[in-house]
Amino acid sequence: MDKPQAIPSDELGKWEIQVRKGGLGLAVLAILWPHRLYGLEILRRLESDAGLSIPEGTIYPLLSRMKAEGLVDSEWVEADAGHPRKYYRLTDPGRAQVRQMAKSWRAFAQGLERLLAPIDSIGDKT
Amino acid sequence: MSKDAGMAHLDCYLDQVRRNLRGLPKSETDEIVAELRAHALDKIEGVLTPNQVEAAIAALGSPREVARANLTERVAAEVEADRSPLTVLRGVGRLMWLSLYGLFAGLASFAGYGMAAALLVTAAVKPFWRGHAGLWRIPEPDGGYGYDLGVSDAPRGVELLGWWIIPIGIGAGLVLGWLTWRFGIFSVRLMRRSTQRNRG
Repeated sequence: MDKPQAIPSDELGKWEIQVRKGGLGLAVLAILWPHRLYGLEILRRLESDAGLSIPEGTIYPLLSRMKAEGLVDSEWVEADAGHPRKYYRLTDPGRAQVRQMAKSWRAFAQGLERLLAPIDSIGDKT
Repeated sequence: MSKDAGMAHLDCYLDQVRRNLRGLPKSETDEIVAELRAHALDKIEGVLTPNQVEAAIAALGSPREVARANLTERVAAEVEADRSPLTVLRGVGRLMWLSLYGLFAGLASFAGYGMAAALLVTAAVKPFWRGHAGLWRIPEPDGGYGYDLGVSDAPRGVELLGWWIIPIGIGAGLVLGWLTWRFGIFSVRLMRRSTQRNRG
């Protein structure tokens, strides 16, 4: 019998990117849950809290889409930094959406966790 | 001096983004550029040297990439919110200078709607001006034939369909218009997906 081959590391990297991209929308909405933030703050929180590092220019088209979908709202605020900043906050439909998304994500993650449990125990033995 | 050079470098980058955003209304272009400027200034935290500015704009991406991502996302959002043929055609028109596929989609959309309109107008005019609306086969000097569809003061050649131009013109015009509209929506979505993929 042929020995099963491991997934090449570049394929694994692509898979990991897809997984992270899938969760990006939820992560951005979740970061905005407690208070309004501007673009660079959102990027820094994504990296520090969720380990999500994305190309910086990507965040604004994503926020623009969320705004068009009515999930977030934005306003320009004069800042101490000497230039205005555009702050984003969740709208009521955005809050409802992120609640639903969080519920689905948790159900999915718990189910997957149950499937992964035997793999952890096998890994511990080897 | 260094501060001025840093600011000039940033302005130059933002001008290039602005140029690549042609097709968007000025208010939207101003908004995108202002947000990118604020982002870069936050990133460099007051150290306005050319090197710091260069690092900040390199993290954002090339002017073309940044403009393309913003443009496709905004046009796609507009098309998803209002799928009227005019909005879809305007959206495809705005994206037609971004890539070869965009150019193809834009030209095909204009040609498709143009042909659909010609068929419908010919069918609508036929009952009122029967000798002047229709499809004609025109002999060419080289011995071949050319075809002319539409309404003409002085039609030449042989009319091919007669009264059949009415049902055929209406049917073919509506089908072609619908196909062109669906193709436009498909193209806008495809260009958005392609941009998202390219930006990782």
